[in-house]
Amino acid sequence: MEVTIIAETTGNELHPVTAQLVGAACSIGGTPTVICPGGVGATEASSISGVGKVVSAEGECFGSFDSGAWASALSPLCEGVVMASSSAHSREVLAQVAAIRNIPIIQDATGLESGIRVTRPIYSGKAIETSVASGPCAISIRQNAFEASGSGGNADISTVNNTSDVGVAVREALAKASERLDVAEADIIISGGRGMGDPSNFSHLYEIADIVGAAVGASRAAVDTWDDIPHDMQVGQTGKTVNPSLYIAVGISGAIQHLAGMRSSKYIVAINKDPDAPIFSVADYGIVSTWEEALPALRDEFGKL
Amino acid sequence: MTIAVLLKQVPDTTAKITVSGGRVDEGAVSKWSMSPYDEYALEYALQLKEGGGGDLVAITCGPARASKILTDAAAVGADSLVHIVSDDSGMDSSNVQNLLASAIRKTGAEVVLCGKQAADTNSGSTGPGVASILGFTCVGMVSEVSMEGDGFVAMRTSPSGNEKVSVSKPCLFAFDKAATEMRRPNVRGIMMAKKKAVESLTPADLGVTMEGSRVSLESHSAPAEKPPGQKFEGAASVPTVVSKLRDEANVI
Amino acid sequence: MPYDALDFYDVDSLLTEEERMVRDMVRDFVDNEVLPKIEQACRDGVFPDEWRVELGNMGVLGAPLKGYGCPGLSYTAYGVICRELERGDSGLRSFASVQGSLAMYPIWDFGSEEQKNYYLPKMASGEWIGCFGLTEPDYGSNPGDMITRAEDMGDHYLLNGAKMWITNGTIAQVAVVWAKLDGVIRGFIVEDGDEGFTAPEMKGKHSLKASVTSELVFQDCKIPKDRILPGVKGLRGPFSCLNNARYGISWGAIGAAQACFDSAKEYSLSRIQFDHPIASYQLVQNKLSWMLREITKAQLLAYHLSQKKDAGTWIPEHISLAKMNNVDIALEIARAARDIHGANGILDEYPVMRHMANLESVKTYEGTHDIHNLILGRHITGIQAFTRTLE
Repeated sequence: MEVTIIAETTGNELHPVTAQLVGAACSIGGTPTVICPGGVGATEASSISGVGKVVSAEGECFGSFDSGAWASALSPLCEGVVMASSSAHSREVLAQVAAIRNIPIIQDATGLESGIRVTRPIYSGKAIETSVASGPCAISIRQNAFEASGSGGNADISTVNNTSDVGVAVREALAKASERLDVAEADIIISGGRGMGDPSNFSHLYEIADIVGAAVGASRAAVDTWDDIPHDMQVGQTGKTVNPSLYIAVGISGAIQHLAGMRSSKYIVAINKDPDAPIFSVADYGIVSTWEEALPALRDEFGKL
Repeated sequence: MTIAVLLKQVPDTTAKITVSGGRVDEGAVSKWSMSPYDEYALEYALQLKEGGGGDLVAITCGPARASKILTDAAAVGADSLVHIVSDDSGMDSSNVQNLLASAIRKTGAEVVLCGKQAADTNSGSTGPGVASILGFTCVGMVSEVSMEGDGFVAMRTSPSGNEKVSVSKPCLFAFDKAATEMRRPNVRGIMMAKKKAVESLTPADLGVTMEGSRVSLESHSAPAEKPPGQKFEGAASVPTVVSKLRDEANVI
Repeated sequence: MPYDALDFYDVDSLLTEEERMVRDMVRDFVDNEVLPKIEQACRDGVFPDEWRVELGNMGVLGAPLKGYGCPGLSYTAYGVICRELERGDSGLRSFASVQGSLAMYPIWDFGSEEQKNYYLPKMASGEWIGCFGLTEPDYGSNPGDMITRAEDMGDHYLLNGAKMWITNGTIAQVAVVWAKLDGVIRGFIVEDGDEGFTAPEMKGKHSLKASVTSELVFQDCKIPKDRILPGVKGLRGPFSCLNNARYGISWGAIGAAQACFDSAKEYSLSRIQFDHPIASYQLVQNKLSWMLREITKAQLLAYHLSQKKDAGTWIPEHISLAKMNNVDIALEIARAARDIHGANGILDEYPVMRHMANLESVKTYEGTHDIHNLILGRHITGIQAFTRTLE
């Protein structure tokens, strides 16, 4: 089966999800062609095992991000089933490639079988949809949902120069907002309680939060005890009710008022030195440890992701 | 200037989703709402209208119940309401995009705002797809937009970070979470909304021939049950937990 | 947890789409702007001014009044607004009740054209706050014997006396004050700044702490001649205002009860004792099912009364029954909910004790529970039992 992959790139590097895309493509019997927008990562892509060939798509339009221009430049290079990562930007490009090629699109696949049977979460993961595409289609896949293909390949690289009119002019690149994420909006939250010992120790939470793009929260006990921890960080009955994908509670015993504000989080990790702390009753993954030992390890592990 | 905003009615994000007989049970949905990202789009569409004048057309595609969100849009200031009446089962992404694109063409809108994805299907294909069909410039992941001269300035998240970009008409903005929440209506708006007619259109009215869907829904199912909580001793277990978060829970 | 409004019989499905939209608007306001601030407002003993502004922006003040910049909604919509506001706090609903039913309504019904044009638009927009002076320190259930007097001085009236338990008094720009002129009760519009008029705040309440309660003191207070309400004489004036306010309360109390039920349900499901959620115990379930039963009955009562109100087929006794019943059950539900919350129930982390304390006031004001019983008793028997002197 003809499969084209639009490689995922970050800056000047190939993103690891690209190897997962190759893995997914091979699992449905494809020998994928990998297109590298802007020529980024072509050599690395050619070494992913299972890749049929690599197309280094060079063109002026890849100098900045205009999804429509990218789609126009890339779609003539696509054949058959077109795949990309389900990152926000690749979804946008892929949706336009699909529209140009007049093929249906299925976004954010977490499972793929030949046929082509596609599984994906809908309603923010509250249900799973399985559908079957009867012909050529576009599919974006979720990062880390598929086994990555190994290295050791040696595919041919061809270069094409294809550009398109850019309609989005970048006026100003803004430094990543240094302002802290709000707990009510964050997808990952790391919260500290009175078990942190001193408000200055929240710096360890911020350090980890910066690595994974999380917001830092606090229990009422922490907010009431320390003036340095503002009320808008409070998660719980009188604070904010949150439901992130991941909630990490550090040094929080888990009073019922705190649980009321975070128990609907999709996944809960609790770090507490007291093995009987009630927070463990709602935790998916509990770690019985002092924060002094656990947080450096957590920082290092998150840093490796 | 005519401004179009695309809205979708979805189960409220707080509503419980139940699956029965291999399908999500829509009858069991306790509350239907405007999809959250669409609310941001509507708010900025209202701001564009207030800033530069013009007509704001709210468009939805969906079954009969979906007209409720058009009335809600009218209550905050949408001028005209278009409902493409269609049961969206049995439509693939191109069917939906073609219908919406035709409706936009009919209104003559040169700027379209929508949410980056709907809270039910979580896809994010509609906005870019419609832009492509219409030949509009597409700007996604937008958090703010305003008029500048004849064109627009928008804030967006791009692969390289936050950017301020400028675009000219015709264009489409797909909203991420934005700086300003959708305004609350008031009684006057609600009473006016009651009087505002909803224009109901069929695919035939729009001159769109509905080709059969090339994607067939096989089934819906409930997500896998979470494994029972696991407890680990000591900080040495951190790598194990992190790998479970990545591979088992898929949340990082 | 998002608020889950108990509506077991789906009574809200009987509302019009417009009424449901008004409900959702007010509910959103309460969720986003009232609940995050209410406990602090209670601790500080203030009515946050931004609530006045937003009530005006939403356009819900004087909800059922038509014309003069007023919303012109149905009485049903007015009831729904009261219910949603009181889900936040009885003090907030009191503000709206007093503004709409007690201050705007008498001007709208009994005022001159000039008075209506002058006062009502500013009061509907929330720019001006109104209050209502009927109760006196020594005359509560028995307003007919009020002491406050007005004297015709030729080119003005002179007002002397004092009113007590006046919601919004200190923060109001406009007071509708009932006083006897030649022995007949008449309504006067007193403005903030009128010579001889002061409105000191009453402090130390354990209830309705986020609402301003005041005395109104008139010492040779000079009122221009054009500030008397021309359209009414006698107790019918204040009583018609009270009928509307009581009607709103019969809905409002349901909101407080729903909030208490919601909190009690959530709490009992998450509170573990003896290894199980306390919601799994029969004594707790008994309380919850009793709450469900009473709230459902109260909803049906309020809805049917609203239909009679909108159709004009009501009598004051209908309102007495609904006010009395719905406040009574709301207070009992608040007490039971407090009980279910155990010790946590006394904390301001949960809304139940605040509602409970508020409802003690609501049970007493606008006709005490007992007085409403007597109104119904008189209706049944034809014999008034308010005084010992039988007529």
